[in-house]
Amino acid sequence: MPTLIELKDGVCRPAEDPFTHVADDEDLPPGDVIVSLTRFQQEGDRLLSEGRRVGVRLKSDEEVEALAYDLPRLAVVAFDFPKYRDGRSYTNARLVRERYGFKAEVRAVGDVLREQAGFMARVGFDAFEPADDASANEWQAAIRRYRHVYQRAADGRAPAFVEREA
Amino acid sequence: MKALTANRLSDGEVVFWKDGRWIERFADAQLWAGDDPAAIEAEGEGKAQPLVVVDAYLIDLVEAEGFWAPVSYRERIRALGPTNHLHHGKQAEGGAAIEALQHASGAARSTGRVNLIKRK
Amino acid sequence: MYQYDTLDKEMLADRSAEFRGQVARRLSGELTEDQFKPLRLMNGLYLQLHAYMLRVAIPYGSLNPAQLRKLAWIGRTYDKGYGHFTTRTNLQFHWIKLADTPDILDHLASVDMHAIQTSGNCIRNTTTDPYAGATAEEVDDPRVWAEAIRQWSTFHPEFSFLPRKFKIAITAAPKDRTAARVHDIGLVLKRARDGALGFEVIVGGGMGRTPYVGPTIKEFLPVNRLLSYLEAILRVYNRHGRRDNIYKARIKILVAALGKDEFAKQVEAEWAKIDRDAGEGGADLPDTELARIRGAFATATFETLPAVSEAFETAKASTPAFARFVRNNVKPHKKPGYGIVEISLKGIGDTPGDATSEQMETVADLAERYGQNDIRVTHEQNLVLPHVRLDDIPSVWAGLAEAGIATANINLVSDIIACPGLDYCALANARAIPIAQHIAEKFRDPDRAEKVGELKIKISGCINACGHHHVGHIGILGVDKKGEEFYQLTLGGSGAEDASLGSILGPALPYDRVAGAVDTLVDVYLREREDGERFLDTFRRTGVAPFKEAVYADAH
Repeated sequence: MPTLIELKDGVCRPAEDPFTHVADDEDLPPGDVIVSLTRFQQEGDRLLSEGRRVGVRLKSDEEVEALAYDLPRLAVVAFDFPKYRDGRSYTNARLVRERYGFKAEVRAVGDVLREQAGFMARVGFDAFEPADDASANEWQAAIRRYRHVYQRAADGRAPAFVEREA
Repeated sequence: MKALTANRLSDGEVVFWKDGRWIERFADAQLWAGDDPAAIEAEGEGKAQPLVVVDAYLIDLVEAEGFWAPVSYRERIRALGPTNHLHHGKQAEGGAAIEALQHASGAARSTGRVNLIKRK
Repeated sequence: MYQYDTLDKEMLADRSAEFRGQVARRLSGELTEDQFKPLRLMNGLYLQLHAYMLRVAIPYGSLNPAQLRKLAWIGRTYDKGYGHFTTRTNLQFHWIKLADTPDILDHLASVDMHAIQTSGNCIRNTTTDPYAGATAEEVDDPRVWAEAIRQWSTFHPEFSFLPRKFKIAITAAPKDRTAARVHDIGLVLKRARDGALGFEVIVGGGMGRTPYVGPTIKEFLPVNRLLSYLEAILRVYNRHGRRDNIYKARIKILVAALGKDEFAKQVEAEWAKIDRDAGEGGADLPDTELARIRGAFATATFETLPAVSEAFETAKASTPAFARFVRNNVKPHKKPGYGIVEISLKGIGDTPGDATSEQMETVADLAERYGQNDIRVTHEQNLVLPHVRLDDIPSVWAGLAEAGIATANINLVSDIIACPGLDYCALANARAIPIAQHIAEKFRDPDRAEKVGELKIKISGCINACGHHHVGHIGILGVDKKGEEFYQLTLGGSGAEDASLGSILGPALPYDRVAGAVDTLVDVYLREREDGERFLDTFRRTGVAPFKEAVYADAH
């Protein structure tokens, strides 16, 4: 089972992952699953009616707008980083939080490296499948690296211009 | 003829392969005939030292004033230093081997990096 | 000038500590080169031909004397006693050791400097008018907005992995000294009839392999809405910019593919949504923060002086070399009795943009003594003392002359932009610096150079166009022909308010024919020019034919 790191109230902890990633050509196992957008569009209603929790995994060239009406039914939205350099999932994550007010888990999957953990936390990711075997402690250190931030984002941190007024 | 070059990880210095280690002067570099499989072997050994050098690769050489010189202009600049500051880089020490490099001409390929297309 | 507060300083300290750890992990083998390379690049550290190169950010080209002295000290301590000012108004050290860089970043942080986002596919250093706060032409001080963008773009969590690098320029004067129209975003500050300030927003200009003069997508953006509008542009680009081909990944390709109207429409739609997302707090900087930043730039104090300085006039009359310096390097200041002094880093035979540690210290001393502690870097690789009393300019000139940086050639034929080229750069195809040196030598006679007048020569050692060749009145691009250095000449480019891209003169020339060809081009111009015409004006009137004929005459 891949390591999962959860970020809650500013603290990173290793977590058991109750979800199974299911590829489009795989048979569905029992229990909670994360499926592609395509598969969700075809089978989502049925999966949800079975009483299990369902997550959707969006590729970096898919846009979160495609999920707008389904978000309330989803337990997880996972955004893929095919390469850490592909920054589209940062926008998707921020929008799912700020524009669609999604409160459940937003998970980073793919080429997920601790060097980018701080950016990911800021745009609203709260669960990570690290590709670099980083520990929860290392993830925590990466997220807390900077004492201040300059701009508003999805994590609610007060930017420098707000701190300055305090 | 061929030689093996890289940049040293710790300081970026241009280095050349000689008998299993990296040295700084092109004039001291180990040379192989174009078809000598030992060159490829050395390249493999060099690449297997990621804590010593970055990006080891073979370069082609031509003869200049009785010395061997890199075919490509880029590699000659690496072996010498920048042409706008003649007292900077390896060329500062002077001597016949350096002068031969400075006078070398007759580039035959753009980079002198052997197997460049295959490598990338 | 803007002063870093505790928050700004702690950001730099945190960054420096992070990079120290990353370097240690690389040297210990915990990080591979493939993993480390993007991390070092985000800190401006490249591996070039001879050594590592560290690119230090100089936000909007603004320096104080302590900062310039620190750069001089770093040059002396960790490099070979010099630094190279770039067309992004940054400074590069060319002989840096990897193991030294964490210490260097600490030394930089001690004077509020850093190398953040001087490389990588992120928002790079914003450039602005080097005469900001000093020229009467400007409608308002553009540095306020450059600093706002610096903070907004620093470690931006959504826009640190864009399809490609992203460069913004801001000008507030009708005479554009920033090349705004060939940037990813160019912002031109304007004042409406009712006095309100706003930006003309130009998007999708650029150089490189596919050059464009950028179109205007918004005629008047109220200034206090700048950051949310930038956020909308960047978001559209981050989502839709091409990521499949590095040569088609800049925003100019997206804007050209969509057409400017469709692109503008998408930006407007996203902008409206950003407003709704933000709710009451708003998506822009609060007025209090803008006022704080504005206050930091309003600190220059000017004496009430007569418009004419006797000392200045006497020196001009008695010392022809000083008079020449004034004609070319001293520009009008908004306050009577003051001047803007340009310091050319283009001495004949020198490397364009290079300054020795001693020269940097001289400039720092002069800025402290005569220049209100203010130093600017221009995108044309020169320095500026923006506020000097006319009374003091003779002393400044004497100090510069002693340091070998009183060359009176600003905007003249020998004031050449050149990238480091194949002498240093791992990407280059051909050398740029020696070409600049050879051309400058041809125009060593200052009378001839002045007779030629404004002529902007810009040289790049490869198609990436760091030397801005597309917008040179004469542009020179180094290319590689079977391992030999060749140079393609273009004529008629301009990066100023009359922006245009140069047209190719003819077949590329070998290394040793370039300076002679430029000499020939200048002769044609002197023969053809009508009253008051610059080289560019003559070229635009006559077209390429007479120039082409002269340069390639002996090929017939």
